[in-house]
Amino acid sequence: MTAAVAVSGAIPAGTAAPAKSGAAEAVRCEGVTVRFTTERGTVTALDGVSLAIHAGSFLTLLGPSGCGKSTLLRVIADLVPPSAGKVAVLGAKPEVARRNRDIGFVFQDAALLPWRTALQNVQLPFEVGGAQQRPGTRPPEELLKLVGLAGWENAYPHELSGGMRQRVSIARALVSGPKLLLMDEPFGALDEITRDRLNEELLDVWESTGTTIVFVTHSIYEAVFLSQQVLMLAARPGRVRALVPITLPSPRRLPVRETAEFVALAGLLRRELENC
Amino acid sequence: MASDASATVSGGFVVDQAEQARFMAAKRRLLWRKRLLPVGAVILLLVLWHWAVVAFDIKPFIAPTPTAVFRVLIQRFDILMANLMPTAIEAVCGFLLGNFAAIALATAFVHNRAAEEAFFPIAVMVNTIPVVAKAPILVLLLGNGMEPKIAIAALICFFPTLVNMVRGLQDVNPQALELMRVLSASPREIFLKIRVQNSLPYLFSALKIAASTSVIGAIVGEWIGSVKGIGALIIQATYAFDTPLLYATIAVGSTFSACFFGVIGLIERHVVKWKSDRAG
Ligand SMILES: Nc1ncnc2c1ncn2[C@@H]1O[C@H](COP(=O)(O)OP(=O)(O)OP(=O)(O)O)[C@@H](O)[C@H]1O
Ligand SMILES: [Mg+2]
Repeated sequence: MTAAVAVSGAIPAGTAAPAKSGAAEAVRCEGVTVRFTTERGTVTALDGVSLAIHAGSFLTLLGPSGCGKSTLLRVIADLVPPSAGKVAVLGAKPEVARRNRDIGFVFQDAALLPWRTALQNVQLPFEVGGAQQRPGTRPPEELLKLVGLAGWENAYPHELSGGMRQRVSIARALVSGPKLLLMDEPFGALDEITRDRLNEELLDVWESTGTTIVFVTHSIYEAVFLSQQVLMLAARPGRVRALVPITLPSPRRLPVRETAEFVALAGLLRRELENC
Repeated sequence: MASDASATVSGGFVVDQAEQARFMAAKRRLLWRKRLLPVGAVILLLVLWHWAVVAFDIKPFIAPTPTAVFRVLIQRFDILMANLMPTAIEAVCGFLLGNFAAIALATAFVHNRAAEEAFFPIAVMVNTIPVVAKAPILVLLLGNGMEPKIAIAALICFFPTLVNMVRGLQDVNPQALELMRVLSASPREIFLKIRVQNSLPYLFSALKIAASTSVIGAIVGEWIGSVKGIGALIIQATYAFDTPLLYATIAVGSTFSACFFGVIGLIERHVVKWKSDRAG
């Protein structure tokens, strides 16, 4: 049974590049290559990466350190220009999506402004870039409540724990109602119990807001638990290795990790990762 | 996301009366300790000083006893204050002028890299000229009034603030800049909401240094052909072998310096309420 899942689970790299572009596409990359040139030479961080992410889906990037996961997120967010290839976010150039506030970004180390309280940090997106609160999006106070930080509005970042800071930064990324949420190892520095809880909470947010999430992690279990699809990248140069659909039923709760299906998928990803 | 019920029931700070009282008492104890220990040390040193002067039979014009200095402080209080006034004005004006110029230049440097590359080396060079060498030049240029003293005090404040301010404006968390780009913030918004805020702890550590050095600058300026001010009084007392007056003058000068420093520290506590993980 385990073997059957493993065999049918992996899709060879070639098919990770999807065929037609549809209206319900959040992200589309075609032959994206990114090179960094420094004194010590040129690094090819991404080499001809093609992928399509359906609107409303949850995709996780998994791969060895240095395979270009962060770089791929940054290309999508218009923080790094691709050296070659095309990127489309919500059917337009990434810059357009960024200016429309369609992209939310959660950084690895929360990146809160230390001189602002939790609430003021969540309000920041409305104070810059000429943005106003969109109709239908939730006010900052409510988002802090959503991430379980009611009562902490006036605390400064140095008064919050790492997990709480990360939750403030998630609230900040959600406040402008982004259609695409990019998360770069957001729970990497947290203990396992906190991480588990935030994983469940993130799935709740994803289900209640309907945003597309692209998530980077080094944890196989986190990848299987959260995603609908896992995109495996290989290093040097960074390229797509496989797209693995995660067939576990939704909504998911933590005990799903003890099912045979979960264990089989995790094993499959581990073997893929070892061969990267 | 659900609230984590185990950590805090209603979120925020849970108030436990007894624990709060213990915390405040411990804080008060530490504060008094911090205040009383230096006072004790000062008294001890004064007693030692007095004892040394008496025991070794040192002449008053070489070193006076603390009581002799204290007597002068009371008897000639009006003269001391009359001389403190011009020094204080010079120091404060120089402080404001020098720091204002430094902040303005640092702002220009951050907006224009070429300007920084062109003028920063000059600023470093001017700073290597010692104050005692700059003072006569400025007196020759600006005459014998308050102006050269203000200029010296301003120059002495200028450099540390410039260096610190440039660092504070530039040394921002790169992720904060990426965040601002994700939010499509304008350069002006990045300057006001990130760089200026980030520079405040750096600025205040420079201002606290400047508070004491500006007084030194004014005093050194008064050494050259001045008839009033703490610096002039120091010279007069020295040549008249009026050592108790010399010591009293120095005490008045440093007390003013300390108060100036304290005021800046007080302002800092109201402006910078957060803890920086970057600024030293
Ligand atoms: N700004 C940059 N300048 C030069 N090289 C860079 C830069 N950013 C990334 N790289 C290089 O690109 C490659 C991919 O980096 P990236 O940060 O995307 O990897 P990653 O998959 O996110 O790794 P990790 O899992 O360790 O975070 C690395 O070899 C890295 O050295
Ligand atoms: Mg990374």
